[in-house]
Amino acid sequence: MILLNYIASFFLIALGFYTIVTKYNLVKTVIGLCIADYGVNLLIITIGFNPGGTAPIFTWNELNPQSFFVDPIPQALTLTSIVIGACVTAMSLALVIKLEEQYGTLDTREIRRLRG
Amino acid sequence: MSMLSYQHFPIYAIMSLFLGAFLVVMLGKNRAVRNALAFISVSASLGFLLALVKRVMIDGEVIAYWMGGRVPAGGYAIGIALEVDALSLFFGLLIAVAVFVSCVYSFSYMSHDDNVREYYTLFLMLAGGVMGLVLSGDLFNMFIMVEILTFAAVALTAFRNTAAGALEAAFKYLVVGCMGSTCILVGTVMLYAQAHTLNFAQLSALIAGDMNTATKVAFALLFIGFSTKAFIVPFHPLAADAHGAAPASISVLISGVLTKSGLYGIIRLTYFLFQSMGLGSMQFLLVFVGSLSMFICVTMALAQHDFKRLLAFHSISQIGYVLTAAGLCTAMGISAGLYHAMNHTIFKGLLFLAAGAVLHQTGTTDLGRLGGLSKRMPHTTVLFLIGAFSISGIPPFNGFASKWMIYQATYMKAVESGNIGFLLVTIIALVTSVLTLASFVKVSQSVFFGRLPAEFENVKEVPFGMRFAMGIFALLCVVTGLFPNLVTNYLTKPAAAAVFSVGNYIDSMMGAGYAESVMAAPPAAPVITYTELGCWDPVSWLLILAIALLAVTIVALAGKYDRVSLRPAATDAKHDLFFGGEESVYSQVGGGDLFWGFKHNWRHYFGFMHDLHSGIVNDYALWALVALALALLFSLIVL
Amino acid sequence: MSIILSALQYLGYILIFPGFLFCFLGGMLLCGIDRKIVAKMQKRVGPPVLQPFYDFFKLCGKETIVPAAAAKTTFLMAPLVGLAALVVIQLFIPVFHFSAFSGMADIIVILYLLLIPALSIIIGGAASGSPYAGVGLSREMVTVIACELPLVLVLLAVAKTVGSALGTGLCFSLTEIAAYQAANGSLILRASMIPAALAFLLVIPGETGNHPFDAAEAETEICEGMLAEYSGPPLAVYKLSHAIKMLTLTSLFVALFLGGIGGKIVNILALLGLTGGAAGALGVLLGAVVLFLLCALITIVCISLVHAATARLKIEQIFKYYWTVVSALALMSLVLAWYGL
Repeated sequence: MILLNYIASFFLIALGFYTIVTKYNLVKTVIGLCIADYGVNLLIITIGFNPGGTAPIFTWNELNPQSFFVDPIPQALTLTSIVIGACVTAMSLALVIKLEEQYGTLDTREIRRLRG
Repeated sequence: MSMLSYQHFPIYAIMSLFLGAFLVVMLGKNRAVRNALAFISVSASLGFLLALVKRVMIDGEVIAYWMGGRVPAGGYAIGIALEVDALSLFFGLLIAVAVFVSCVYSFSYMSHDDNVREYYTLFLMLAGGVMGLVLSGDLFNMFIMVEILTFAAVALTAFRNTAAGALEAAFKYLVVGCMGSTCILVGTVMLYAQAHTLNFAQLSALIAGDMNTATKVAFALLFIGFSTKAFIVPFHPLAADAHGAAPASISVLISGVLTKSGLYGIIRLTYFLFQSMGLGSMQFLLVFVGSLSMFICVTMALAQHDFKRLLAFHSISQIGYVLTAAGLCTAMGISAGLYHAMNHTIFKGLLFLAAGAVLHQTGTTDLGRLGGLSKRMPHTTVLFLIGAFSISGIPPFNGFASKWMIYQATYMKAVESGNIGFLLVTIIALVTSVLTLASFVKVSQSVFFGRLPAEFENVKEVPFGMRFAMGIFALLCVVTGLFPNLVTNYLTKPAAAAVFSVGNYIDSMMGAGYAESVMAAPPAAPVITYTELGCWDPVSWLLILAIALLAVTIVALAGKYDRVSLRPAATDAKHDLFFGGEESVYSQVGGGDLFWGFKHNWRHYFGFMHDLHSGIVNDYALWALVALALALLFSLIVL
Repeated sequence: MSIILSALQYLGYILIFPGFLFCFLGGMLLCGIDRKIVAKMQKRVGPPVLQPFYDFFKLCGKETIVPAAAAKTTFLMAPLVGLAALVVIQLFIPVFHFSAFSGMADIIVILYLLLIPALSIIIGGAASGSPYAGVGLSREMVTVIACELPLVLVLLAVAKTVGSALGTGLCFSLTEIAAYQAANGSLILRASMIPAALAFLLVIPGETGNHPFDAAEAETEICEGMLAEYSGPPLAVYKLSHAIKMLTLTSLFVALFLGGIGGKIVNILALLGLTGGAAGALGVLLGAVVLFLLCALITIVCISLVHAATARLKIEQIFKYYWTVVSALALMSLVLAWYGL
């Protein structure tokens, strides 16, 4: 099951990058960024996962050497990463709206005034 | 630990910038308050770092700081740490100085814009992000800072969103920049999966002795991630777009500060985290990528028609020099690279500010439309020329001293290793330098000299604040060029020594003896010999001065050099016409066509490069993927 | 006291030999010889050898006209900076056993200092605002780029040859190169250095902007390009700079390739008529004379004869020629030197 998670996460990252490279619609590019981001989040969670572990929420008294829980640090990382992912999406969509206003198109092949 | 203990200074240096960012947006309705807040926060940041110079640079102390006092327990570093060695402080100082000057410049430069409050917020966020990156001792923290700075940089690129291409540039940068950030994050968590720590020092100790497939993949990902931040080939088109569209004060930060963060990341990655610079293949990687950036970007710059795009390509070309020098893995190479990194911040800052001054007064940076501004903006012209001579490595300006060291370092490496490839690098570096000069001749001819178009007849010199900011950089250009010994002794040598003392870096953070106890073999401190083959002696410059004075005297004494003839009466027809007498025919050679004789021979190359830089974001993303694939292949097969 | 003496000594170096006076006399004489030889080759009588001196002093007496479109200060200061840089290079080049500023004579410094005169004429031309100057500076810059690659290769080849002979790996110091040649014979006598010497000889007319590589100053097309708007003393300074550049490059050739031969001639001459304390001063004087004679010889070979025998090349041809033929020659030397031949 863990292996499946790893495969899925790398598949999602690859799929995201594939979308960015092959799709000429700005919104789809943003979707590609999101998919890659989800892949990364899944990867981080998977890395911290211990099969059979409990949630890493303890008070000082509860914690003992026998406690078996999933690694809390990746979960913290994932939270941060999700927040950043949301920011990326918001920012890029804002840019897409403005680009559509200015260029009148969402096609990346026509948004290339800066080149050469 | 009292609040004023120097141990706290690094975090103060970061927090003063972030705090400034929030205060500006809350209290900065009034212009004076806003400017004062921004100025205080950047000065405070610079001040805190300057206060550390004696301890870190001269006494060689490494400051390890645990946020909230959470020191490592049970051999694992759980808390978030800052670690400041001479390398971090070196980059931190560069950043603080560039941010300071750019801030001063912004006061006048941004005075005509809307939403200046948000501008300063983003500006300080960007500065804080980079500062946090270079002072951080924690890999995930570095990722967070990378995200903050990428965000701020994207937003600032699109700040003047009515300007042509600003949104487009920001979007491209966001897409490829986020791909890079994703790579950094994946690399970080893969290292975490191996070592179960995010602390940089501990990771260095745990990873270096135990390289497996996962860590190799992580290396490739991190390398590509930091490369996107340094804009080295193949990520250079993003830099050109972003620089062209961003306000000049932000271009200074992108080229002088943001690219440095990428470089810093690469140096930390290769020298510290993986400690693999001893390998010939690693040296090959950095030197190859560096030389490629150096050459491709300088030729791209020659083909540009826009002042700021041209400067942007040069910026990456110079980063190529730094990377090449750093990739040599010799003490002299590192010193030379860091020296050049510092000079790059200074002269590139100056040049971008000069471009901004031209944009501010004329409203365009198109080389084909400008001309003859030296009569209207004499101070800017002189300051620009100082920057142009510095970047071209004309003695006695600072570019010469560092480039000289780079040539010597590459050639020494070639001789010592017996590898003729490094010789090629020396030649490329020397030729790139003269091509750099050529493109700055193009700029000076197209913008400052030549004939003044009628539409710019009423252009004025820029306000004092902007000239003052440029003057600081120009002064630094001259000072760091005239006193290379001071720079090498107090800045680059300690930083270079820090690069080679990984064991000390680890022990300072994790406690003495940790590196030796964990790593398979105790980190061998390489023998550092600072034999610099005769450094640039400023006495020669005094000679030039003396002789120039002498020549002036001789010419002044020789016959009728009367001053009256220097001030021609406007009505005197003799001064109107050019030699050919064709007053009405204006035949100035345009910016891009100036070096026709050169470009004609290389027309296939230039045509190819022009088609390659298509401006489509998918293409740039594809380049990034190809680079990632190549890095992965390299890492898995060669490393 | 000794400080004053040494200051006087250095002042002497700068003003008289190998500094300003030597440059002035030597450069102008070389220029005169060049003109005379070319005239002879073309079956003309030609000007007297001292003609460049007459031209110089006459120009100095003329009025300086600054075009209305020009940036005055830059326009007037540019010639002087170029001249100063040339004199500095001459100070760095060792004259056989004698070198005025031995510590600083570094090949890369010279390489960059050689850019300054070209840059000064380019900036001066640009500051004049003339379209002719625009065309001229474009060509001048391309010529500089063209010459740079072979020059770099030649200098690196010399550095490698001397360096591996001395056992230090590489040697950028001109003084050491001169000392090595004084001890072990001229570099030109080594088979591996002959292509480099040839390449350098071919670079000299390009660097000085002499025929057939004078597209930048083509009088018949673009009215001397960057110099089109110059008149009076600034023009005189440019003419002087051009003359000194010939001297500088030829004496650089002597220092790099002919050091041993020249040194021997000086020694023989010194032995012929010498006793006592005047040996040092006389040695320097002899050195100056021998240096000048060798320079004149090289000027005749690589500037005058080439001038008389060829027609002006187009700028893209110049570039192609230097980056293919000449660079290949220099590269051959570098590779040979690399493998220790």
